[in-house]
Amino acid sequence: MPSSACCPRKDPSSTLHERRARTRDVLPNMHRVVITGMGAVTPLGATAASSWAAMREGRSAIGPITSLPHETLRFGIAAEVRDFDARAHFDEKRLILLDRVSQFALVAAREAIAQSGIDFQRDGIGENTAVVIGTGVGGEQSHDEASRRLYGENNPRLHPLTIVRLMANAPASHISIEYGLTGPSFATVSACASSNHALAQAFHMVRSGVADAAVAGGSEACITLGVVKAWEAMRVMADDTCRPFCKQRRGMVLGEGAGIFVLETLERARARGANLLAEFVGAGMSADAGDIVFPSETGAARAMQRALADAGLAADGIDYINAHGTGTPANDPTESKAIRRVFGAHADGLAVSSTKSMHAHALGAAGAIELVAVIGALRDGVIAPTANFIDADPECDLDVVPNAAREKPVRAALSNSFAFGGLNAVLAVRRAP
Amino acid sequence: MSSVQDTIFDIIARESGVDRAKITPDATLKDLDIQSLDAVQILFEIEDHFKITMPDRDPHFDTESVNGLVDAVERLLPAQGSEQHAA
Repeated sequence: MPSSACCPRKDPSSTLHERRARTRDVLPNMHRVVITGMGAVTPLGATAASSWAAMREGRSAIGPITSLPHETLRFGIAAEVRDFDARAHFDEKRLILLDRVSQFALVAAREAIAQSGIDFQRDGIGENTAVVIGTGVGGEQSHDEASRRLYGENNPRLHPLTIVRLMANAPASHISIEYGLTGPSFATVSACASSNHALAQAFHMVRSGVADAAVAGGSEACITLGVVKAWEAMRVMADDTCRPFCKQRRGMVLGEGAGIFVLETLERARARGANLLAEFVGAGMSADAGDIVFPSETGAARAMQRALADAGLAADGIDYINAHGTGTPANDPTESKAIRRVFGAHADGLAVSSTKSMHAHALGAAGAIELVAVIGALRDGVIAPTANFIDADPECDLDVVPNAAREKPVRAALSNSFAFGGLNAVLAVRRAP
Repeated sequence: MSSVQDTIFDIIARESGVDRAKITPDATLKDLDIQSLDAVQILFEIEDHFKITMPDRDPHFDTESVNGLVDAVERLLPAQGSEQHAA
């Protein structure tokens, strides 16, 4: 079969960037998208503001796991959301429906929506507001509890709400129900890139006019015995702490929490006099189509290039990258090389930090929690550091802002998430207009 | 060949698909072209078979060579008071 029969004809005269730029020009419904609200529940704080304040201080929330029996754990460290009192947020009747992952998502969504000041009842905007919430593993506490009864206690009766609690779309459904949002709503599942995929979907829907507004982000409550033991078995976990990009890094550390944002069009936000936190300008996604766990420099670079092209930003327009930076031997050098490949000489002018050194790796909520750090950098002109840093690794030869926050004006930033399974999603955000 | 070494050769061959005849005591898993995910599975099968916990990045143990794995298992077995391991 001739190759032309099976492949779409390529337009050799146009690069992806040029084609995207043309698309933006010709499509009449392309809107500028802004973020008007953010909420977070993280190991560093009960709100987005307190989480950002802790990141600015370079404070790490990684410590001994308190919620699981220590004798069963190999290393026993994580960044847990402690002192989270679900009863302070939900009545009993509601709580019975909610896994911890949905509790985090709802609390963060309430904060984001309150901050945005958006009234979904007004002008019928809620009717076409999207809800896209990423999660890596969904309602794992409910799953663990069901398994414990079934296999541990030989109790054949499972709670009738087990499915409702553990389904991966539960966080999105509960936000939609609480606010009466009837636009396109679903969960995205791509392990550690889930929330960036969710935010990318939401952004593209609002930009194109498919949705009028969106509530989007990610949530994860993965510090259960089953999940922690499964991660231990992969032998990618650190036994001391998370030290991204540094020579002494020994692996990743699990975290948990949620980050949720309100996205709307610039026109609508301005018309209602909303406070603009940042402009969401692009998202790039790619698949490595290679190894199931080993990261790919090409795949990561492709996602960053696509985010820049989608945003219509030149590489030297970026001042900060919130890195995926897991602290594993494989990720950090691969990500460093991918950044060099995309940014060339400008790579040395970038600040690149991994805030996972402080809030650890919240899997499907990671990108959303990290967007809090990106928005903080854009608004305050402060880069949160890569904490726990000891010695530089020549394989990770970027300015990783070790240990202490740095003042630096940030015009625009990227936020990287590269998942197991080779699924990558990168967000491009710039200072509010 | 000790029974521990024999079992470890079996596990390496089964998990990685490497021809058992090509496995030598002084080879590293890398020499045998064994990728990290297969190496992790080999460690798991060894742990599960001998009912031991293999150390993770412990400088006193070499878990990257065939000899190192045999040595680690032989040192860990008496420490756990169990010469009798699962068949």
